[in-house]
Amino acid sequence: MNFSRMFHNLNYVVSALLFLMGLYTVVVKPNLIKKLIGLNIMETSVFLFIVSIGMVEGGEAPIVAEGVKSSQMVNPIPQALILTGIVVAVSTTAVALSLCLKIHERYGTLNAAEILGRGEP
Amino acid sequence: MPLAFAALCPIWGMWRRKACFPWSLLGVAITSFLVWSLIGKVNASKVVAYNVSGWRPPWGIQIRIDYMGLLMACLITGVGLMLLIYSWRYIVSEIKEERIPYYYTLYLLIFTAMLGFSITSDLFNFFVFMEIFSITSYALVAISGERMALRAAFKYLLMGAISSLTVLFAIAFLYSATGSLNMLDISSRLKSTAYLPVASVALILFIAAFAVKSALFPVHVWLPDAHSIAPSPVSALLSALVIKMGVLGIFRILFTVYGHSFSGLSSTWNSIAGVVAWAAALSIILGSVMAIIQRDLKIMIAYSSVSQIGYILLGITLISTRGMAGGLYNIVAHAMGKACLFLVAGIFIYKHGLRRIENLRGIGRTMPVTAGAFALAALSIVGVPPSAGFVAKWYILWGCFQEGQYAFVIVVLLGSLLSAVYCFRVVYYMFFTGAGRPGVGLDEAPFTMLAPTAILSVGTLFFGIFATLLLPSLNNAARVLLLK
Amino acid sequence: MSKIVHSVLPAIIMAVPWLAIPGAVLWGKKRPGAAKAVYVGCTAATFLLITTMYPRAMDGVVSVQHLVEVAPGINLAFRVDTLGFYFAILLSVIWLLTTVYSLGYIRTRETRYYCFTAINLSFCLGVAFSANMFTLFVFYELMSLFTYPLIIHEETEIARRAGLKYLVYTITAGAVILAALIMQYYYGGTLSFLGHGTLNSETISKPVLLIIFSVYMLGFGVKACIMPLHGWVPDAHPAAPSPTSALLSGVILKVGAFGIIRVLFDVFGIKLLGDLGVALPMLWVASFTIIVASLFAITQNDLKRRLAYSSVAQVSYIILGLFLLSPDGAIGGLLQIAHHAFMKGTLFLCAGIIIHETGKRDIREMNGIGSKLPITMLAFSVAALGMMGTPLTCGFITKWELGLGSIQAHRPYFIAVLLLSALLNAVYFLPIIYIAFFKGDPMDKLLKHETSRTMMVPVIIGAAFVVILGIFVTVPGLPYSLVKIVVKALF
Repeated sequence: MNFSRMFHNLNYVVSALLFLMGLYTVVVKPNLIKKLIGLNIMETSVFLFIVSIGMVEGGEAPIVAEGVKSSQMVNPIPQALILTGIVVAVSTTAVALSLCLKIHERYGTLNAAEILGRGEP
Repeated sequence: MPLAFAALCPIWGMWRRKACFPWSLLGVAITSFLVWSLIGKVNASKVVAYNVSGWRPPWGIQIRIDYMGLLMACLITGVGLMLLIYSWRYIVSEIKEERIPYYYTLYLLIFTAMLGFSITSDLFNFFVFMEIFSITSYALVAISGERMALRAAFKYLLMGAISSLTVLFAIAFLYSATGSLNMLDISSRLKSTAYLPVASVALILFIAAFAVKSALFPVHVWLPDAHSIAPSPVSALLSALVIKMGVLGIFRILFTVYGHSFSGLSSTWNSIAGVVAWAAALSIILGSVMAIIQRDLKIMIAYSSVSQIGYILLGITLISTRGMAGGLYNIVAHAMGKACLFLVAGIFIYKHGLRRIENLRGIGRTMPVTAGAFALAALSIVGVPPSAGFVAKWYILWGCFQEGQYAFVIVVLLGSLLSAVYCFRVVYYMFFTGAGRPGVGLDEAPFTMLAPTAILSVGTLFFGIFATLLLPSLNNAARVLLLK
Repeated sequence: MSKIVHSVLPAIIMAVPWLAIPGAVLWGKKRPGAAKAVYVGCTAATFLLITTMYPRAMDGVVSVQHLVEVAPGINLAFRVDTLGFYFAILLSVIWLLTTVYSLGYIRTRETRYYCFTAINLSFCLGVAFSANMFTLFVFYELMSLFTYPLIIHEETEIARRAGLKYLVYTITAGAVILAALIMQYYYGGTLSFLGHGTLNSETISKPVLLIIFSVYMLGFGVKACIMPLHGWVPDAHPAAPSPTSALLSGVILKVGAFGIIRVLFDVFGIKLLGDLGVALPMLWVASFTIIVASLFAITQNDLKRRLAYSSVAQVSYIILGLFLLSPDGAIGGLLQIAHHAFMKGTLFLCAGIIIHETGKRDIREMNGIGSKLPITMLAFSVAALGMMGTPLTCGFITKWELGLGSIQAHRPYFIAVLLLSALLNAVYFLPIIYIAFFKGDPMDKLLKHETSRTMMVPVIIGAAFVVILGIFVTVPGLPYSLVKIVVKALF
C-alpha cells in the first residue's frame, strides 16, 4: 500500500473511518440514543471532510480586503455548505430525539430488541 | 424565463403560514396551476431556468426545470392535490384534533420540498430539499403517535438519515473532485477531471444512498412498516411520490450528473447500472412474493410498491430509449395507481376499521365505487391493457428486447403474473365472496374522499388509452439522455 | 385488393351492450321485468346492428375505424373484414339464444350476471372487430378477466376452485401472448392486420419466427384448449351456470381459436407458415387433442364434464382444418366455429334444462329422462347426432370439408383421425340417448313436465340450426357463403 499517498489524502481516510465508526454504532448498538450518537458521528465525519477540502495551506478568511489575494482565501463555499448541513443535522437529531421520547413513553424502554419484541400491541 | 419562475415563488413562503385545510388547499392549488402553466414552456424551449438572486451558475444557485423535472412536478402537484382533498375528512379520524395543523404544515412542507427537489439543478440544494422531505416524512409517519407508528418512524429515520449522510458525503467527494455544485457544470467538468477514482466512489455512494430512499430490494426493509402504518393519505403520498424522489435521485445522478456516454467512468457506470437493474429485477419478484403472503391490505400494497419501483428502475437502467420511456411512464402509472390503492385502503379503515384482506368479504356490494376504483387501479398495477401500467410494461419489455436482455423479459412477465395474484385476491374477496348479507344497502364514503380516489383510478385508465399525450416527449427525453 | 370504407358502426355496436348495465343496476331489484327487457333488447339490438353490415361483408368490403393512438405505432382501431363479420354475427346469435335462455335459468345475482354477460359480449365483438394484434389482445384480456364472474356465478366451493384455475391459466396465457406480441412488434415492425402475413422470412431469422409462433400458440392455445393447455376447461364448464357454459364452449373457446386464425392468416401468412414447417406438428397436436380428449370424455359420468371434454376435442377440429393450409381445410375449420357453436351450445342448454328440472348431473341417473323431458332430449339427440357427423346435420358438412381439405393437402391420413373421432363421439353420446329414451325407469315416468318457454325456445332454435346448416348449406348468408368469401381472399 502506498502510505505516502494515504497520508497525503489523510482527510479522506479519517473521515471515511469516522463515517464507518458511526455506521457501526448505528447498526450494532441496541440503545436508540446510542444509535443517534452514531448518526451524529457520521454527520461530523462528513462535515469534517467538507471543511477539509476547502482548506488552503496558510489561507485567510474569505473576506475581500486590502492585501489578501483571492488565491490565499479559504474556499468559502464548503463552509457555507457546512452551516446548512449542521442545521439539517440538528433538525434530524431533534426529530429523532422527540421520537425517542415518545417511544420511551409508550414502550418504557429504549432498547431496540425489546421494542421489536413488543411489536404487536 | 425568470419571470415565469418568479411567479412560482409563493410556494417557498407558503409553508410558513398558519396551516389549515382551506389555506393549504389554496396554496397547493395555486402552485399546481403555476406548475401546469409551465407545461407549454418546457415543451417548447426544453428547459426553463431561473438563477436565484441573479448569480450565474456555477456560482449561484440555479433552478432548472427540464422535462423530467416538469413531469415530476406535474405529478407531485396533481396527486398531491388529490391527496390533500382526501385528507380533509380522513385525517380527523386518525390523528388527534390538536395535531391537525401540524399535519397540514408538514404536508405543505413535504410538498414544497419535493417540488424543489425535482427542479433544482444545484447538488447542495438537492440535498437540502431531500433532507426536508425526508425529515417531514419521518414526522408524518409518526404523526398518529401510536406505538407501531413510532417504531416504524424510527426505523425509517435511521435508514433515511444514513442514506442522506451518504448523499452528502458523495456530494462532498464530487465537490472535491470538480469544485462545483451545479449539476451541469459538474457534468462538464467531470470530463476533464483528474480525480476519477474519487468521482467513481461518489457515484457508488450516491446510488447506494438513493437505493435506500427508493426502497430497492436489499434496502427496502423500512418501507413496508412505514408505509403501512402511516395514515392512509400519508401512505399514498409516500408510496406515490416520496419514493419516486429516490428514483429521481438515481436518475439525476446517473444521467444528468454523470451521463451515459462519459468515457472516463464508463465501465464503472455500466456496471453500476447493471447492478441496479438486477437489484430492480429482484425487487420486482421478491416484492410481489412478499405482497402475496401478506394478510394486511396496507402492508400488501406497500410491498407492491417495492415491486413497482423495481419496474421503474429496471426500465431506467436498461439503457435503451424504449425501456427508459417505459420506466418513466411507470412513474406516472404507479403514482396514480398506488395512491388510489392506498386511498381505498384508507376508506375501508375509515368506514369499517378493516385492515385484513379476509375481512373485506362482500364489501364490493356495499361500497361499489370504492371497490371499483380499487379494481381499476389494480388492473393498472398488474398491467392489464388498456391501462397506464400496461403501456409502461409494454415499453419496458420493448427495451428488454432492444438490449437483448431476455432474462428481464421473463422477470417482467413473471412479476406481472405475481402482481395479478395479490391484486386479484383482494378483488376476489371484495366482489365474489360474502354474498347473502341481506338488507345491506349502499354505504359509501364521503364525497371528498370518494372523488379523489375515483379520479386517480380513472386517471390510470385515461393514461392507458391516451398514452400519446406523454410518450413521444418521454421518448425524446430518453433519446436525448442516452444520445441515441 | 379489397375496398376500404370508414365506418363508426363497429364502435356503436360495441357500445350497445353496455346500455344493459344501467338497466340491470337500476331496476335489477325493483323491476326485474324491465331489467330483463333492457338486457335482451340490447343483445337483440346488437345482433340487428351487426346484420346491417352484411352487404359489405358479402362484397368483401372492409370497414375501418381508427379509435385512438395509444402509443406511437400502437393503435386501438377497428377493421371489420368478412372473417370478423362472420365471427361477430355468429357470436351475437349465440349470445342472443343464451340471453333469452338465461332469463329462465338464472335465479340468483341476476344483476351481476346480466352486467358481465353484456360486457363480455362487447369485448368479444371487440376481438372480432380488431384491426391489429394490439386491439385484439386488449379485448381478449378484458374478456378473459370479465368471464371470471360468470364462471364463479354459483359461488360454491367447486365454482371458486374452477374460477381460480381459470384465472391462473388465463392470466398466464395473457402474459405469454404479451411476450409474443412485443416480439412481433419488435421484429416485424407492425401489428396491423392487412389480410396477409406481415412477418417475412427475409428480415427475420427462422428461429425467431419459430419462437414467435410457438409463443403465440402457447398463449392462444390456452383459450383454444389445445392439449396439454386445456386444464381449466373441464372444471370451468361444469362449475359455470349452463348458459355460461354454452357461451364458454360456443364462443369463448372460439375466441382463442380466432386469435390463432389471426396469427395464422394476418401475422404469419399461409405461405410463410408452409415454409416454416410448423403446420405438421400443429396438425399432430390437434389430432392428439381430438383423440385423447374424446377418450377422456368417455370416462366422465358428469354430463357437463363430458360435454366439456367433447368441446376440447371439437375446438381442435378448427385447428386441424386451419393448419392443413388448404382451401377446403380452411373452409372446414372456419365452418366448425359456427357449427360447433350451435351444436355444443344446444347440448349445454339441454344439460342446463336437465339440471334445472331434475337436479341430476350424473349420466347414470338419467334413466328414462327422455319421457320426462321429450322435447329437450329430442333437441339433445339432434345436436349429439350432429357431433357424430351424421349426414343432414351440420357436423357432417364440417367433417366432409375437413376430409376434402386433408386430401387437398396431400395428407389423407388425417381422415382417419376424423373417422376415429366420429366413432368416439358416438361412443360417448349414444349411451346418453339410449339411457334417456330406452332405459325406462318407472319412477320417473310419472310426470311429463317440460320447462319454461324462455328456456325451451332457444334450445329448439339451436337444434333447428343444427339441421338447417346441414341441409341448406349454400344458402347465402349462412356460414358457408361467408367462409367461402374469406377463404377465396386468402388462397
